[in-house]
Amino acid sequence: MISLAVSPLFPAVGCDLNDPDRDVRRLFPESTGYKTIYVSVAQKGGQELLRKIEERLGDKFKGLYETADVPYTMYQIFKGKELIGYIHGVNQKGQFGGIQVFLALDLQGNIRAFYFQRLTNQYAKLLRDPSFGRQFVGLNLKDFSNYDVVAGQVKGESRVAAIKNPAPEAESDFRAALRATKKNLILCDEFLIQRSRNGEKN
Amino acid sequence: MFKKTIAWTLFILAVLPCLAFSSSYLLFLEAQGIAGYSTAVKKAIFFSMSQMEAMQKPSLGFDYVQRFSGASGDFAVLAVQARLAVNADGDKTLEPQLYNAYLKIKTRSVDIWIGHNRPKFGLVSSLDTHAQLLQPLSMNGLGFDRDWGVGVEGDYAEGNAGISLTTGSGMPLYFKGNFFLSGRYSRGILNQDNYNVGISVGYGRILDVAGYHLMSETPMEFAGAGLDFSWLKNNLEHRVEFMAGTLDDQGVFAIFWRTGIGLLEEGRLKLEAQPVIVFARKKTQTQLSVGASYLATPDWTLRAMVQYDRDMKDVRFVIQAYFYKGIRF
Repeated sequence: MISLAVSPLFPAVGCDLNDPDRDVRRLFPESTGYKTIYVSVAQKGGQELLRKIEERLGDKFKGLYETADVPYTMYQIFKGKELIGYIHGVNQKGQFGGIQVFLALDLQGNIRAFYFQRLTNQYAKLLRDPSFGRQFVGLNLKDFSNYDVVAGQVKGESRVAAIKNPAPEAESDFRAALRATKKNLILCDEFLIQRSRNGEKN
Repeated sequence: MFKKTIAWTLFILAVLPCLAFSSSYLLFLEAQGIAGYSTAVKKAIFFSMSQMEAMQKPSLGFDYVQRFSGASGDFAVLAVQARLAVNADGDKTLEPQLYNAYLKIKTRSVDIWIGHNRPKFGLVSSLDTHAQLLQPLSMNGLGFDRDWGVGVEGDYAEGNAGISLTTGSGMPLYFKGNFFLSGRYSRGILNQDNYNVGISVGYGRILDVAGYHLMSETPMEFAGAGLDFSWLKNNLEHRVEFMAGTLDDQGVFAIFWRTGIGLLEEGRLKLEAQPVIVFARKKTQTQLSVGASYLATPDWTLRAMVQYDRDMKDVRFVIQAYFYKGIRF
């Protein structure tokens, strides 16, 4: 019997790939397909999970794009029936409205690609240049653990310190991109990678 | 009535088993209140365009997306979006409205859809106007917001292309010798490149409809082409569309331009202006609209519009309170 008990409501401000077929092919050329799953912090752990994520992020969730019930769209990437990676995007407050940062990850949570799906800043060209995104390749959540998203600084040693901003006039969007990346990695770790290690299904 | 019953039955049969796919669906509830004043009729109105048009009117609705996947990934998407709207003018009636009602099959190269969806013609085919007060050319009689039929589309590295064969009857489903064959090719990925340019062509024998109202039993021959351009820069948006062709053996021409600016943190407030000129059936329709949209919370949006229609000699003021939130079972 299907239970029709209604769980907490969630708002509509999520972030998904505008054109997943093209983007998955581009980010994982070896892939043959992908599976879309929808998750939210409220659904997967509620306030307790939210507090854990905020602690890992080093900042509170706030604004339109960061609520416990935002629906996250996560993509599991397949080659045949073999899971080979993940793609996930997050909304982040930017200099002009919102920006959207997508990461392609391997199964261990290492970044294999970084890109902006939405960034309207007139200096966007410099931040969208592939050379900017290449600075993120190979980084993972452990590298970002020392990045203070509030101060915009790396505390201690971290490969994140090597990421350079090619557009000083877009400093706020640069820092927003780093915050979005750390947030994205934490959410992927909570919703996908840890669960995969534990043999849980989404 | 029979066709509506079929549509609702298909939806229910599709939704109930799909609820077992606990992570692969999105279900949103929607509610909107609409009120305004028209200087032409000198009274309060409870719609944004006209009582006959499908939107916007006070309504309750839902938006459902279900993804189907196998061991190697997604292979299909079911989308159903519907409202129960109130016709508050005169004898109050309820109007069931079906927007999205399609099944999309995903292949390695293209997506194939069947049902009620956006035909591939014009800016409206890539613009989500479901909740908005300002509407594109499809609501001025050029193209369709939704239509019944089949379509094929695919994304490629620089853009998107698709064709559709639909009934040319819009919201209702009629078979009176009507059809609409259309296609759109676009270059530029708006969110990534901050621009998109589209070229559309369409031909058919289309019905004269306003919402669910059939204005004439006789289809009209239509042949037309359109060029649309969208551009984002900083907090500015511009959308322009030109359309030209023939409708019922008479020339038709339209210019549409929407410009907007996002203000406040997270772009919560958007101000827009939209002049539209449509020349069709030997008459010129000129409209100038200005609108404001404020995202009060993630669930509530407040909108307002002032529209001047030169031919109707009407200035209308419309406000909307819009609620949209997801639920999970």
